Amino acid sequence: MKRLSVEAKVGFFVVIGILILAYMSMKLGRLQYGPDERYEVYGYFDSAEGLVKGVPVQVAGVEVGRVKDITLEAGKAKVILQLDRYVEIGEDVEAVIRTKGVLGDKYVELVLGLPQAPLMKPGGRIQQTVSPTNIDTLLQQLGSIGKDIKELTGTFSGVLGGEEGKASLKIIIDNLQELAQTLNETVKRNQENINRTLDNFSFFSKDLREISGTNKEALREIVTNFREASSQLRETIIALNRITEKINSGEGTIGKLIHDEETVETMNQTLVALRDIAEKIDRGEGTIGRLVKDEETVDNLNTTLSSINEYLQKEQRFQTYIDYRGEYLLDSEEVKSYYSLRIQPKEDKYYLLGIVDDPAGKKKRTVTTTTVGGVTTTEYKEEIEKDKLKFTAQIAKRYYDLGLRGGMFESTGGVAADYYLFDDRLVLSMEAFDFDPDENPHLKFKMDYTPFQFLYLTGGFDNFISDEGKESVFVGIGLQFSDQDLKTLISGVPIPR
Amino acid sequence: MIKFIETVGRGLIRFVEEFGLVMFLFLAALVWMLRPPLRLRAVFKQMEFVGVDSLLVVILMGTFTGGVLAFQAYHGFRLFGAEGLVGSTVALGMTRELGPVLTSLMVTGRAGSAMAAELGTMRVTEQIDALYTMACNPIKYLVVPRIIAGVLMLPVLTIIADFVGIIGGYLVGVGLLEINSGIYVAKMIEIVELDDIFNGLIKSACFGLILSLVGCYKGFYTSGGAEGVGKATTQAVVVASVSIFISDYFLTAAMF
Repeated sequence: MKRLSVEAKVGFFVVIGILILAYMSMKLGRLQYGPDERYEVYGYFDSAEGLVKGVPVQVAGVEVGRVKDITLEAGKAKVILQLDRYVEIGEDVEAVIRTKGVLGDKYVELVLGLPQAPLMKPGGRIQQTVSPTNIDTLLQQLGSIGKDIKELTGTFSGVLGGEEGKASLKIIIDNLQELAQTLNETVKRNQENINRTLDNFSFFSKDLREISGTNKEALREIVTNFREASSQLRETIIALNRITEKINSGEGTIGKLIHDEETVETMNQTLVALRDIAEKIDRGEGTIGRLVKDEETVDNLNTTLSSINEYLQKEQRFQTYIDYRGEYLLDSEEVKSYYSLRIQPKEDKYYLLGIVDDPAGKKKRTVTTTTVGGVTTTEYKEEIEKDKLKFTAQIAKRYYDLGLRGGMFESTGGVAADYYLFDDRLVLSMEAFDFDPDENPHLKFKMDYTPFQFLYLTGGFDNFISDEGKESVFVGIGLQFSDQDLKTLISGVPIPR
Repeated sequence: MIKFIETVGRGLIRFVEEFGLVMFLFLAALVWMLRPPLRLRAVFKQMEFVGVDSLLVVILMGTFTGGVLAFQAYHGFRLFGAEGLVGSTVALGMTRELGPVLTSLMVTGRAGSAMAAELGTMRVTEQIDALYTMACNPIKYLVVPRIIAGVLMLPVLTIIADFVGIIGGYLVGVGLLEINSGIYVAKMIEIVELDDIFNGLIKSACFGLILSLVGCYKGFYTSGGAEGVGKATTQAVVVASVSIFISDYFLTAAMF
């Protein structure tokens, strides 16, 4: 084996020494792993007696840091605590200097406050501090307490001791004696009364005894009655027994009934029949059975019930509207009025009945064919009846935002489509009616806008493909009341008395 | 009476003279230390001699010192029921005082005396003079490596002594005296600080300087043949030991 070189030996030796130093430093000296590992807070104590640099700071008995420095500031001890980074203390923390061990080592205990208190920032000040109790101060306090006690006992001895005290004591004792004597006399004086009371008591008890003595007969009677009653009861029971025996042996009517084979047979048959019926019903045979068993019956019943329900609900949904609209035709400078009643049994369905006052009047055309001498002349005669009312009767159905109408429009047949916008505030409508083969149909486009509950504005283009020059733009206004509104309105009208 | 004063005076003068010579040697060594080339080979050789070869005695010394310290501390602390403090007492005693001082004394006995004997022999056999004639400064060649080895090796030996001393104390305290090991270690960690160890190491470096300087001085200025060498060796050990104790007091007073 080659000998280690001198350098290697020395190097090895030094490395061992450094390793040991490092180990001991970490173990004993608690090397700091970096400046950020700890943070500082401080607090002012009235006295930091016994506290030295480097003593531990504990929270709940766990060491969380050390006392970094103690200085005097404005007559108070400023103690700087260095705490581990992970230790979170609230601003309401209390720092207490406490003693541990036989040698009276001091350390700082942090008593945490409420968990919801804001966290103490690094460099913050601990407001609440409790200084250590000095044993000298304690002894001084004890000494002063002792002095007080001594004074107290002195006062006592001053009051009670001495000739005067003795005299007053004697007076007190004399008084006590007198009191006892008086009490004694009172008792003696009242001896008679007490005796009388006791006598009364004894009389009372004697009376009681007498009462029970004189009523002895009555009591005895009661007992005898009881006894008789019980004997009668026994006889009754015996009689009952006899009856049941008779029944058992088939004697008497009931006995016969029960004991008669025939009766039993009949009853059995009845029961069998009953069971048969029940089974049949169960199987769905017979009318009742079918009724009970048939799915259809059940369905019918359900439907009936739901129809009734629906009807009842419909009643609730049923609404009626009264509507007036006036359209001012810009071309003919006339007003066309519509009065209508809208009956709405369902939300998506309504019937519209109404009359229309059309200034254009009602056109009446008559064709007269006359044959004179083989020549046939056809005479067309058109009459316009002014101030003649037209009628409206429509049925409407609504699918989501689209409504379809059909029926009679201004006394002629027609169809219409409505488109509802903005929560039904704006309605676009296109109506087509008066499908006369000789003329273009009457088409009407209108726009109803409802800014308020009862009032709506309207505008549109009437009869815009008319070949008779009747096309006209119009604007107008409308009023619409539901039955509910009317009810409210009518009840709201003040009635003069 | 005159003679007494004469004797005291002569002793005083001699002490001052010797102190001056030691200082001169130290300054010369410092100067030569800074002047290249440094003879690393010689330095390592001295390091091996002072440090590595002293390891065994230092370990033995440290272990048993720690053990006996635990015994004595236990005896005292038991009087008022503070046996848990034995560990910290042993650790504090070893790191602050006994480690550096006892290690230095051991090394003085082992290496300081050897230095004096070696240099003394070289002096009386005129080898040092021969070095001068070869234009090789004997201070640079002989004294500087020894001083460097002393200053560097003593702290290393001390830290080892501290460590084995604490272990010895633990073995005695926990093993023989049945002190709770948790309390023993906890108290030790709680009370002993890093400063205690470092101050001990600084002291030991100073002691290393003293013992090597005294050893070299006594050997370097030896006169009077083989008898002179023996005398120089004895004196080197005595003077170095006493100097270590005295300086220990002042160093401790200054540092703590």
